[in-house]
Amino acid sequence: MRLSSFLTATVLPLVLSAAPALAEHTSNWAVLVSTSRFWFNYRHLANVLSLYRTVKRLGIPDSQIILMLPDDMACNPRNAFPGTVYSNADRAVDLYGENIEVDYRGYEVTVENFIRLLTDRLDEDVPRSKRLGSDAGSNVLVYMTGHGGDRFLKFQDSEEIGAWDLADAFGQMWEKKRYHELLFMIDTCQANTMYTYLYSPNIIATGSSALDQSSYSHHADNDVGVAVIDRWTYYVLEFLETQVTTPNSKLTLGDLFDSYDETKIHSQPGVRWDLFPGGEQEGRLRTVVDFFGNVQNVEVETNSTEPGSLKEDLAEIAKLVEKWRKRDQEYLASLQADSNNSSHHHHVVGADQQKAQPSPSTSQKKAAAPVAKMTDEDSWTKRLVGLTVLGAGATIWLAGSILGKS
Amino acid sequence: MTLLLFAVLCVLLASLSGRTHAASDYHERLDLQPLPGSSLLASFNFRSNSSVSSFEKQHFRYFPRSLGQILQHAHTKELHLRFSTGRWDAESWGTRPWNGYKEGATGVELWAWIDAPSEDEAFAKWVTLTQSLSGLFCASLNFIDSTRTTRPVVSFEPVGDHAPSDQLHLLHGTLPGEVVCTENLTPFLKMLPCKGKAGISSLFDGHKLFDASWQSMSIDVRPTCPPGEPECLVEIEQTVDMVLDIDRSKRPRGMNLLKTLLTSMSSIWWTLTEVFGRPVKGQCLSDDEGAGDKVICLKVPHERNVFVTTEAFEVKNPDGVSRCFSLISSNDFDLVLPEEEVQTKVPLEQPVLHAERTIIGHGQERGGMRVILRNPSSSKAVDFIYFESLPWFMRPYLHTLQATVIGNDGVPRQAPVSAIIKDIFYRPAVDRQRGTQLELVLSVPADSTVTLIYDIEKTILRYTEYPPDANRGFNVAPAIIRLLDQEGPPRLPAHDQSAPPVADAGLQHAIQRDHPDEHGDGAGVWKHLQSASAPVCAC
Repeated sequence: MRLSSFLTATVLPLVLSAAPALAEHTSNWAVLVSTSRFWFNYRHLANVLSLYRTVKRLGIPDSQIILMLPDDMACNPRNAFPGTVYSNADRAVDLYGENIEVDYRGYEVTVENFIRLLTDRLDEDVPRSKRLGSDAGSNVLVYMTGHGGDRFLKFQDSEEIGAWDLADAFGQMWEKKRYHELLFMIDTCQANTMYTYLYSPNIIATGSSALDQSSYSHHADNDVGVAVIDRWTYYVLEFLETQVTTPNSKLTLGDLFDSYDETKIHSQPGVRWDLFPGGEQEGRLRTVVDFFGNVQNVEVETNSTEPGSLKEDLAEIAKLVEKWRKRDQEYLASLQADSNNSSHHHHVVGADQQKAQPSPSTSQKKAAAPVAKMTDEDSWTKRLVGLTVLGAGATIWLAGSILGKS
Repeated sequence: MTLLLFAVLCVLLASLSGRTHAASDYHERLDLQPLPGSSLLASFNFRSNSSVSSFEKQHFRYFPRSLGQILQHAHTKELHLRFSTGRWDAESWGTRPWNGYKEGATGVELWAWIDAPSEDEAFAKWVTLTQSLSGLFCASLNFIDSTRTTRPVVSFEPVGDHAPSDQLHLLHGTLPGEVVCTENLTPFLKMLPCKGKAGISSLFDGHKLFDASWQSMSIDVRPTCPPGEPECLVEIEQTVDMVLDIDRSKRPRGMNLLKTLLTSMSSIWWTLTEVFGRPVKGQCLSDDEGAGDKVICLKVPHERNVFVTTEAFEVKNPDGVSRCFSLISSNDFDLVLPEEEVQTKVPLEQPVLHAERTIIGHGQERGGMRVILRNPSSSKAVDFIYFESLPWFMRPYLHTLQATVIGNDGVPRQAPVSAIIKDIFYRPAVDRQRGTQLELVLSVPADSTVTLIYDIEKTILRYTEYPPDANRGFNVAPAIIRLLDQEGPPRLPAHDQSAPPVADAGLQHAIQRDHPDEHGDGAGVWKHLQSASAPVCAC
């Protein structure tokens, strides 16, 4: 906790200084992830498919939705209604429908693939439909649901993603300019703990339940045979379905979060605003369709030197290159100095220094030192040891022979 | 077989309607055949092509651009992709549609001929191909890695007319556990010119297709140089075959079967709208192209009354048990088959070989594989190739391979091993790198059953190598049987029968071609065992 508050204290000013970058986003992406396998977790896939239908309804095309379904519910032999997934016992809306594109499915839904997707560390052969093609102008919606606990979320009942992993993934996304603003939603037990460590700016996070609280399912369908949706997702959807009826809706995230009713949800949903520039005040004003809808704004790139422009990037890269070149030269110079002072005494002193004060520069040098040098040093110490042993042996022999004579 | 079938159909149609089909670029056709037990076999076929030059210039008309670009990128000259679920009940339904050629193993099966100068480069292209197809078809085809890839020597032959300059490499992969569902049908439909909005493809509904007792989707792309055409073509053929339970299909969506059984009792009479949930929404490509095609064919005796809702040409075929309809308007088209007793029965062809495979033994360490191959014919031996690919963690002991023959009357027969197992092509597995690949050239004497048994050892896996649902076991890729040409008239069509899914052995399916099999020597990595010297014994 203290760590996170420390982080917020250090990161916030940074965020505020970077705030007036871009007021509007230019595209929308959605990453919708269910992390549970097996038939009895039907509701988690129904959760995520409900969100999929909602973002599609509000205009995000399939090509900009990454849907991860770890198991097959629609064509599961246990499903009494083949080819369908329902999130309500009235079975009014078939979420699977006739037009669905699942990007990651079955065994492909792993922590590794999820993080690779977010950070775009993928093979060149991986097709576009399996990539998150967002950029610095994209608003990204990340929705996750599954079984979780204090700062972790299980994937497929076999591995888990930790809150730090998620924070670092988002952090790397920010560094790689892969989002403009990000809305993180999670429905799992103790969900709010999952966003405690997020540190990159421009993120609004919301979860279904606080530390030590369970998230509950809403209701079951007796013909499907299992629970079909979770409570928090159900009420979020209810708001989206009844209030946000068109892509032009002016309702804000503030309205959405105010609609949380703890007596209905049976847990305490949480919202985290502090990473967002302007905090809660500004964040509340973002409209729901900023994340759930689709915009196709065009940003015309000029040759200005505004932050984020290509020119600035190039200048930054040139500076970095210069910096590393200088470091390289310094290092080479120090190597030459080393070889000039060829007494082993120097090495002993060097080792002492490292032990005494592991300053960043010396430890860096140690790491970068070539292997040959380590063996060189070894041979000197070995020779020393050998000489000592020989000397000691000779002394004993001499002493023995003298004593034997006398 | 397919070619032959099409040739026959084309000749038939041409003679009846006086049209030739060479000028047209796109054809679609639906064959409906009622099967015993209130089942209905629906075979959809969509075929289009593009000239090689326009294909290379990426000038696509009916050929799907998304697939065309992938094939070019991966240097793939010929492609076969199969998605299948369910089980074909050969005991009741007889021979398989397309003689088993258009169907794959349960799950997803892919094989392709890739043009590359070396094996390694071919494999790199293969990886590109599987990755791209996984994105296009929403299937985990990217899991076909080196451990699941095989290079069969004798089991497959290209069906296209390939340029002699191409250095073709055959690669084959199966995902036996892959689920086939609506997300696979969506891209399949988008590849059709009418995209499911008109023509017979408008009958596709994931809710019916994935409720079928058995269904199979296939895509075949091949180069072809028809004799009267100035230029070679790239042909794509997509098929969907399914066996629907008419009773089951007639229930309203979202309602349980139990409830409907109580309400609806009539089963024999059916309409397209009832079975597929919707009528045919007019003809696809209404103008010149494809007009006059016999689009919908129905295999029922001529005396049975069949009503149509809009005007359509009906042609009764001379075989007495089938008729075809050509759509002439863009109005909804529906077929109505009222309930009636008909004396004539549509004959069902019987398979020429029955095969089943089981894992035997018990425990986590050792076991065996048993394959039972039954030839029902009383007069003719059946020759075929049996292709098996095992995952690396199942290690077969080939020296334990035994073949026994018993007559279908239960009396053991004496036959030399060389008479049963004529050739063995074998590539052993390498742990975590590649699986076992075994091709046997077999012959089963008339009216007898051959049982093959060999021992296997199950490897201990690392903790991270188990799938998340290891509790349900592992899937083993199905064996593939390719019937070799039957000699002498009358020529029997080739069939086979699926095995019941026993233990974790997969299903078998058949690959059958008309061409006589002429296998050359195996490639360098292959162990080509002659049966005379092979460590095989008959008991």
